[in-house]
Parts: sequence; C-alpha cells; structure tokens
Amino acid sequence: MKKVSPSIVQYFQKIGWASYIAGLQDTHSGNMSMRIGNRMLITRRGSMLGFLNDYDIIEISLEKNDSGVSLASSEIGIHRAIYRETNGLAIVHAHLINAVVLSLINDEIVPVDVEGSYTIRKVPVVSFEYGSGSREMEEEIPRHLKDNKIMVIKGHGAIAIGETMEEALFYNSVLENSCKIIVGINSLGKKADDFKPKNISEGW
Amino acid sequence: MLYGNWGKILEIDVKRKITRIVKPSEEIYDKFLGGRGLGVYLYTQYASPLNGYALSEGNPIIITTGPLTGTPVPTAGRAAMTSRSPLTGTIFTSSSGGISGASLKFTGYDALVIIGKSEKPVYIYISDNEIGIEDATALWGKNTIETTQNLKEKYSGYSSIISIGPAGENQVLFASVITDGARGFGRGGLGTVWGYKNIKALVIKKGRKKPRIKDKEKLKNVVYEANKSIKQNPVTSKALPELGSSFMLDVVYFDRALPVKNFSDNRFPTIDRIGSTALQEEIFENSISCWGCPISCGRICHDNEDKVSEGPEFETIWALGPNLGIDDLVFIQKANRLANEYGLDTISLGGVIAFAMEATERGILDFGVKFGEKEKIPDLIKKIAKNNGIGQDLKTGTGNLARKIGKKASYFAINVKGLELAAYDPRIIKGMAVGYATSNRGGCHLHGGYSAGSEILGLPRRVDPALQISKGTLVAKRQNDSAAVDSLIVCQFASMAVSLEIWSRILTAVSGKQYSAKRLSQIGERIHNLERIINLKLGFTRKDDSLPPKLIEEHLGEEKIELDVMLDEYYEFRGWSREGIPTEKKVLELELNNFL
Repeated sequence: MKKVSPSIVQYFQKIGWASYIAGLQDTHSGNMSMRIGNRMLITRRGSMLGFLNDYDIIEISLEKNDSGVSLASSEIGIHRAIYRETNGLAIVHAHLINAVVLSLINDEIVPVDVEGSYTIRKVPVVSFEYGSGSREMEEEIPRHLKDNKIMVIKGHGAIAIGETMEEALFYNSVLENSCKIIVGINSLGKKADDFKPKNISEGW
Repeated sequence: MLYGNWGKILEIDVKRKITRIVKPSEEIYDKFLGGRGLGVYLYTQYASPLNGYALSEGNPIIITTGPLTGTPVPTAGRAAMTSRSPLTGTIFTSSSGGISGASLKFTGYDALVIIGKSEKPVYIYISDNEIGIEDATALWGKNTIETTQNLKEKYSGYSSIISIGPAGENQVLFASVITDGARGFGRGGLGTVWGYKNIKALVIKKGRKKPRIKDKEKLKNVVYEANKSIKQNPVTSKALPELGSSFMLDVVYFDRALPVKNFSDNRFPTIDRIGSTALQEEIFENSISCWGCPISCGRICHDNEDKVSEGPEFETIWALGPNLGIDDLVFIQKANRLANEYGLDTISLGGVIAFAMEATERGILDFGVKFGEKEKIPDLIKKIAKNNGIGQDLKTGTGNLARKIGKKASYFAINVKGLELAAYDPRIIKGMAVGYATSNRGGCHLHGGYSAGSEILGLPRRVDPALQISKGTLVAKRQNDSAAVDSLIVCQFASMAVSLEIWSRILTAVSGKQYSAKRLSQIGERIHNLERIINLKLGFTRKDDSLPPKLIEEHLGEEKIELDVMLDEYYEFRGWSREGIPTEKKVLELELNNFL
C-alpha cells in the first residue's frame, strides 16, 4: 500500500469538505472514489469526508482484493460494480436528508425546479432488502446508473457518477436542493406533482 | 426492418464506371451505428490491400451518414468521410457540417463507397433515382467556389455540391474536400485522395426519402429535452450563436493555453485585435447554420478585398493568426478564404507555414518568411496549392518536410503522426497531451477526446488542466464517447450541452432498440479499438503515440508533460498491453476478433 500524491489528496479534501459543508453528509457518512486506469482511489471506511487526510484515501484494484480492501469503504463492491458496468469515472455517495424523505414515499423523484430539471431530469428510487453493501445492491445500482447520472437508495441516500468527483458531487447537491423544494411545496399544502415538466414525465 | 438507417450502401467504381447497391447486415449497424463507425468498418471491407498506400487505387473513399441523419434531431445533418490519409498514413475519418449529410440520407443510401481510379477527371451525381459519372475535364483547375457555382448552374435543384480545389488536384498532402463552397472535410488530406482518383466533385440532389422513425412521440419528447439543454447551456445558447467559435480564442488565451508562433510562447499582447469582439465589430456580416442546427455558430465575414465568405472559425483564426505572429483579422479572413477556395486544411496550412517561419528564424533553412510577415502569406498559400517553388516542399506537411530537412528540424515540427496540432497547448492542458498522442488520426483535438471541454470550458464540470494523474482515464473515456457521437452523426458542439444519456434516448426512439449511455460508449470503444487495430496493421506502435520534442522539453513554466505515465494509465484503462496493443480479452469483449 502506498500513499497517493499530494495533488490527489487535495482534490479529495476539496470534494469531501464541499459535501460536508453543503449539508450532504453527516459527520461520518458517505464515500467517494475516482477511477485511474484499472485501479481506483476510494475513501477509507469510517473516514470523515469533511476532514480527510492522506491516509484516508486507499488505492485498490478494480478487480482483485489486496490488503487495501480491509481499509476501504465497506461499499467498495458497489463502486467496483459501477466502474465495471457504467460509463462513470468517479462516484460520490451521500446521505441526502430530503432525498431520503421523498424516497420513503415515492418510486421516482422528478425535480420541478429549473436547475434540477435541466441537470438530472428524473431520478429513480430503488428499494433493497439490505440497505447497505449487499450483493443485490452491487447488481441493481449499476443497472440504474447505466442511463442515469444519479439514483436514490430508498431510506439510505443517493449515489451519483460522473467523469470527475466534482461532477458526481454536483448531481448530489442538485438533487438535494430539488428535494428541498418539493418538500417545501408539499409543506405549503400544494402538490409538487402538479409542477412536473410534461416532456420529462412522458419522454424520459 | 431497420429504423434510422436504410440498410443500403451505394458502391461507385470510377474506373469501370459502374455502380452497385450493397446491403450490410443489421448486425453491422448494431455494432458500428453509422458515420465514423460504419466508415471504419467499410474501410476494412474495401481497402485493397488493407495496408495499401493512401494514394493508390485500392484506397476507398467512404462517405457515410448515421442513424440520426436527416431526422428532426438537432445537428443531425452531418456527413463523415473515411479513407487512409496521405498525410498521416493512418485510418482517417473527417466530418463536415452543412447540408451534405441530410441530402445524402434523403437519397435512400446510408453511405457511398467510391473505389478505383478514374483515368480522366470526373464528377459524380446522385439523386434518389439517378446516378451518373461525368467528365470533369472542364472543371479541373477551378477552385471550389467556381466548381460549386458551375455545377449549381448545370444541376438546378441539386442541393449539395462537394468538391476539391487545385490543392487536391496538385496532391498537396493536406488538401481538404469542401462542401457547398464553405464547410469542409478539413483534415488529413482526404482531398488529395480525391485528386489522386481524378474525382473533382460529388453532386447530391436532395431526395424525398425521409428516414423511418420507430417512435415519433417519444422522439418528440426527447428532442425537446435535447433542445432545452442546448438553449440552457451558455456555450450553445449564447457564446456560439452570438460570437461563433471565435469565442474560444479569448477563452483559451485567458487560460494561457493558446500557442503562439509555432508553440514558442503563450503570450500575444494584441490578442484583442483578433478576438470574438473584433470579429463581430470588424468583419462579421451574418451568421449561418448547418442543416437542422439550432445553434448557428457559422459566420459569414468579409475580408480586405471586400469579398464575403464563410468563416473564419476559431482554429483558423489561431492557425493563420497567433501561430504565425499575425494580429490582422481582415487579413486572416482573406487567408481563410483563399484556403477554402484552393481546398486546403487551414490548421495544417498554418502549422506548416509556422514551421517554415521557425526554420527560417533558427537559421536551419531559409524559406524567406518570418513570424508576422503577413504580406507574404497569400503568395505562399498560392504556391502550396499550385505546387510551385517552395510550395513543393511545404505541401508535404511538417512531418515529411522536417524529415527531408534533417538538422533536428523534427524538434519543432509540431505534429503527431504527421497531423499538425490544433490550438490547445498540451503543456498547459495536460489532457490534450495524451489526447493528441493517442488520437487514431494523428494530433487531433477532436479524436483526441477533447478534454479541453472539461479542462477549459468546464463541461460538464471543470477539471484541473495541470493535473496529470487521471487524465489518461478521462481521455480514453471521452474518446469512446466521441467516437459514438461521430457515428450517430451529430455535432460535437451540440454534445457540449447534450449528454450521452440524452443521445442514447434519442437513438432508442429512432431505432426502436434499447440504448443506454453505457452501450453507446461501448460502441464508441469498439470503433476506437478497430481504428487502433487498423493502425497497428499499418505499422504504427507505441513510439508513434508521442508528442513533438519541443513540447516535452520547453515547459512554458509549467510542470513537464509526463507522457509515459499518462500513456501507461491510458493503455491500462483501455485494456491494452504496455505496447499499446489491445489484449485478446479486450478484442473478444468488443467482438473484434474477425478484424485481427
């Protein structure tokens, strides 16, 4: 096992801090990774994304286990499956509070605000018997991310892919804001569904 | 039944003056889509032999459309042209906007394959019920504008005319093929192949055959989403429509990545004289669109002879401006017009003149022209196109010319595999370094994955241009995506706003088959790998995935390019050996084993 370069550590720190300060994580939630060739750099199990150090970033093969697997995020299997099955080069998983609220009562989330509609359009919500790190999740999550940038695990949080971690973080952030708006509309006694863009509902 | 594509290809033998309709299997369309992918596949079927010279009878010219061409999908009017390049020796696909792609699609053919070599100059005309090969002796020697006007008069109602100018006839190795006197299959010298085969022009009458669409209602909805993305993205909704591609000159310079004087510097104090504002205020006449394009990035401008013509695009302003030490926009537009009339690729033209200027200033060989001497450029362009005087040397491109000169001239010959680099300095934008090095058609920004899209424009999010780790991976993935987009065929500018997820939904609606972003990217990967396999057969190896020594050794104050490190990562991501050869596992995964 070897430490990653300082420029990469700084990049992880920037994304991790942004996700924390934006309220997309609790103190110890979430994980993130980026693909480099046939390896990945992934955050350490139990690390605080808002306060990462160089020893919190683990380099590991996309296919074979080495000693790094003992330190890497417990959802490494999902990350590997996503890199194997989708177009993503980076992954950010976050525990979005409002997205989780909506996931408990919906099978999909359709942003009604302009930014959300433009950026993520329609987000699938998927339910699992075991809500973290299961084989079922390794099979199902990549299937949804083949054609969506972000999806929500019911009652758990969101997982997004991108060419970069910043892109994947952005989709998490946009989704959470869109969910806040939907929750806000509903709390005013209106139906957010009435504001759904027509073409997305029918064409996506 | 096929949707999107017709399942019909027209084979034209200009030697025997016969034509034949060929119907590829549905599996070929599933694997290669159309455009660049179909062109590369057809090259493997028609090149005789596969490793024959570019300027030989056995090198086919393949013009393709894609499954989206001619549909209501934004920017789906383009065509692609594939052949072996006489400039690079690689497999080479070039694409063009305008109306030629849609016009060809409406004739009921997906592609034209031109084989053989005519004894005398000819032009080809096709419509949805006529095909002809006619004598072009009277057109030989005419420039592309004259040729277009002449044929338009003769064939009233024919919608698209594709032609070469004197440069193609005179075997200038970077001669282009011009569509309707304006847009071009610009790069790689495909016009030279036309000239070698004595083909002066192709006249296409827009037919009445509209492509079949499987699910029109779904397509309408997803096209709405695509157009919404185009309208909401600042590059495609504001910068390109209002300023044309020239805005990139300002942006790339702002990020210190615009090469100056043959990549000797990145400072050009008078940049504002040739930027987008100057273009709009001083030479702009009108904007123009390709078929089916809501962006309208094309510019119609005047020059110092009060002649009005299309352009100049960003790359041309750079190649004939800062790269030559010239800051006169009116003059640049004149040089651009001359290049289009003669049928020359403006990027390679600027590259070879910049090389001559540096050779002169270094005292290696006196070409009689130095940086900034703009008054000498028109005569130089004419000499190159007409194969006169020093034009006989310059017409061979920087790579060939540097080898002929010797004396370490290759040090500052700014090309990769013979193709002159574009307007992005890879010492500043590190992704472009591995992109230029690995592009299958030589030092190309577009086939190199165009990492500047994220490194400069921040689309979809900005990536630190200075970062080297992770760039091999990013570029390989973007090359795959880009090969898929080039096979649909849609415009790379539109793809700055429209994601692969949207394109895949559009293709699903048109074809009736289920596509995802991942599946499209995999098809792009197959196409890129097939191009690589062809290039390996043509003799290219890892040592050709290189950069000009000047760009490795002169740092511009930035961290040195670690090309080997980035290449290793790039090959690893691609599933290639350290020598840059696709492994058996990768070849089987992509179902390319029949092409080994």
